Amino acid sequence: MPDAANTPLSDLRVVVRASGVAAAYAGRLLGTMGAEMILLEPPAGSQLRWEPPFIAGTDVSALFAYHTAGMRSLVWDGRDTAILSEADIFIDDTPVAGRAAMGIDDAAIARMHPNLIHVSVLPFGASGPKAGWKGTEINLQHASGEGNLLPNGLSVEMFPERPPVKIYGHFAALQGGIAAALGALAAVWARPGTGGQYVDISCQDAALAVGAFAIQRYGDGAVEHRVERSFRYGGVLPCADGYVELLTLEQRQWTALVELLGRPDWALDPALSDALERSRRGPAINAHIRAWAKQRLVADIVAKGQAAGVPLAEYATPAQVLHDPHERERGLFSPVMIADGLVLDMLAAPFRFGAAPLQLRGGPPQLGTYDPARETA
Amino acid sequence: MVKPLEGVRIADFTVHNAGPFCTHMLSQLGAECIKVESAQRPDIFRKPHPVYGRMGPATFDQVASNKLSVRINFKHPQGIALAKRLVAISDVAAESFRPGVLTRLGLGYEALRAVKSDIILLAVSSSGQSGPDSHFAGYAPLFGAWGGLGALTGYADGPPVEMRHVMDHTVGMNAAVAVLAALHRRRATGLGCLVDVAAREVSSSLLGEALLLAAAGQAVTRTGNEHPRMAPHGVYKAAGDDRWVSIAVETDVEWQRLASIMGTPGLAGDPRFATQAARHENRVALDDIVAVWTATLPGAVVEAMLQEAGIAAHESWTAREITADAHLRERNAIVNVREPDGRVRAAVGVPVRLSKGGDIGIARGTPKLGEHEEYVYGELLGMSTAERQELQDDQVIF
Repeated sequence: MPDAANTPLSDLRVVVRASGVAAAYAGRLLGTMGAEMILLEPPAGSQLRWEPPFIAGTDVSALFAYHTAGMRSLVWDGRDTAILSEADIFIDDTPVAGRAAMGIDDAAIARMHPNLIHVSVLPFGASGPKAGWKGTEINLQHASGEGNLLPNGLSVEMFPERPPVKIYGHFAALQGGIAAALGALAAVWARPGTGGQYVDISCQDAALAVGAFAIQRYGDGAVEHRVERSFRYGGVLPCADGYVELLTLEQRQWTALVELLGRPDWALDPALSDALERSRRGPAINAHIRAWAKQRLVADIVAKGQAAGVPLAEYATPAQVLHDPHERERGLFSPVMIADGLVLDMLAAPFRFGAAPLQLRGGPPQLGTYDPARETA
Repeated sequence: MVKPLEGVRIADFTVHNAGPFCTHMLSQLGAECIKVESAQRPDIFRKPHPVYGRMGPATFDQVASNKLSVRINFKHPQGIALAKRLVAISDVAAESFRPGVLTRLGLGYEALRAVKSDIILLAVSSSGQSGPDSHFAGYAPLFGAWGGLGALTGYADGPPVEMRHVMDHTVGMNAAVAVLAALHRRRATGLGCLVDVAAREVSSSLLGEALLLAAAGQAVTRTGNEHPRMAPHGVYKAAGDDRWVSIAVETDVEWQRLASIMGTPGLAGDPRFATQAARHENRVALDDIVAVWTATLPGAVVEAMLQEAGIAAHESWTAREITADAHLRERNAIVNVREPDGRVRAAVGVPVRLSKGGDIGIARGTPKLGEHEEYVYGELLGMSTAERQELQDDQVIF
């Protein structure tokens, strides 16, 4: 069970109705910080239960398991909103057009539950000319800018004619979830003065916000392009046994890199002590660095580089992250029950309050295991 | 109607992108954010970085907007004392130095608690405040690499892809959530705390299901634009130079509608594509067919036709289309910001719409270094003009 001392939201109750990642993730974030979480599901279960990928040997969706860990499930098919009377926050991704019939449109919620923070999470938001548009993850990444800007670096160099490639997984939806948690907690903070309110979150808005860089560049008069925004040197470096990332922004980091490379003649050219000249000669520098890296092992390069003050990182696979000694020591993962007899380590939360890591309350819920009558008895 | 975080004050020692984006978002929600730099060590994102291949500053204008700017020289002992005075009148202090640096300066969590017992100290770092790698230096592409997001992004037959500023800003958004949670706890308990945000762990949090599969012994690899269930699903060439449109077909009904719109003879009845499983099995052939059709039309036209039919589609947008979009403008996701020199530029707003939120968003553009010292040092800290002048002469306010 979570340690009450470092779970700041343990006095909040949150009800989530989620068919997709964004709303579920908003709830997950609040739940890992201690909020009591109740997942409202239709009689057949949330759509997330049927979304791949699945955990081998089970019928459990890894996506559902990750996003609903620690929640309790209540089968709910609309109209009776009594479950919201004890809640502080209600997060919902029902399309706007379907809400009134279920008694969960914003006007009805405001009337029936005036102190509730009602958070709507939709691909393009609940208001504006495109509020009713459909958008899956890949569409959202391209509606918000970053989709058009990837890949960059080595990948676009190798495959300049291919279509842009999306960020793995559910990046834009997750941004919507994070923004929903932000909006919910801002509204909770203001609640003593304002009472409940309606929070309208758009995954497109949220993914765009984290892509702010391209918007600023446009204001400066330039349209970013995935080819041109590649680093002049450094970036993804193929090694003998994997890949590393190298980025030197400061002069001292370049100096340290030259030492790491073994002070080769080309790097000692006095002209390269000037950052502008290095930028001009980027491709030539990169050819040297890549030839050097290709002969070496990832772990060796990263350990020596970081010790010398050169920003270098391994491109870690999920299995490497899972077994990373650093994350093991920090307790990033918690064992949770996934299905009968199956306990797996799951990432808890990417932040903590104090030294102790946040813990998950449990694994994904069985459908309908929450019984409000028993809770109040 | 007041902004939700009206009355919350942040002493902001963060630099670069991740930390500043956090405090920028909180400032858009109404917090008063005082950014601390010095002339000797300004935020390095005030400066250009030739490794990016350009000479303009990076995202400084965006993340510095709305903030107040003061100078403090941390190399001077009185600078440390001045920073503590600022923290003593703040609710939150925020920093993004390497772990240990703030403590060495005399501004660690315990030192700040001594001047403000319920202070919330946000510490944003690449690998967190503890653990064997906590001393590692990093930027967004490195966080993405360590955390696993970079390795899973890319073409199946290509290398990993480096994450850029979206990674920094995702760290900042998570940090903003955590700070609000800490404020909530402080209100309930009177206790402040140290909020430890590890950027590489934020990267990992974006692939939680893949990490779970890894825990079950299943391999997860790069799959480009493919989806494990949907087909067609991808980014397709549209008419025009480097123009693309994204399409995702979720159901058989949607597929029949798309086939009808495309009008390709025999497509609607082609057994290779009759069911979702069949389409996925034959997705490479299907992608080729769809791409032949999309290449004849502008992306915006494809998008409109498919959205009209209830199919998820969107043109691949650059900043040009984004900043001109009426939907994003109406939602204040894109706003205009007026800089002190009169220049007006587009910026992103806080991605939250509140029915009782007051006028949240960006009220001011980029502050000049030290622009708000009269207000911060004079009004808030009650310093006399003579005292401020003395600190300037001694290179404390410097």
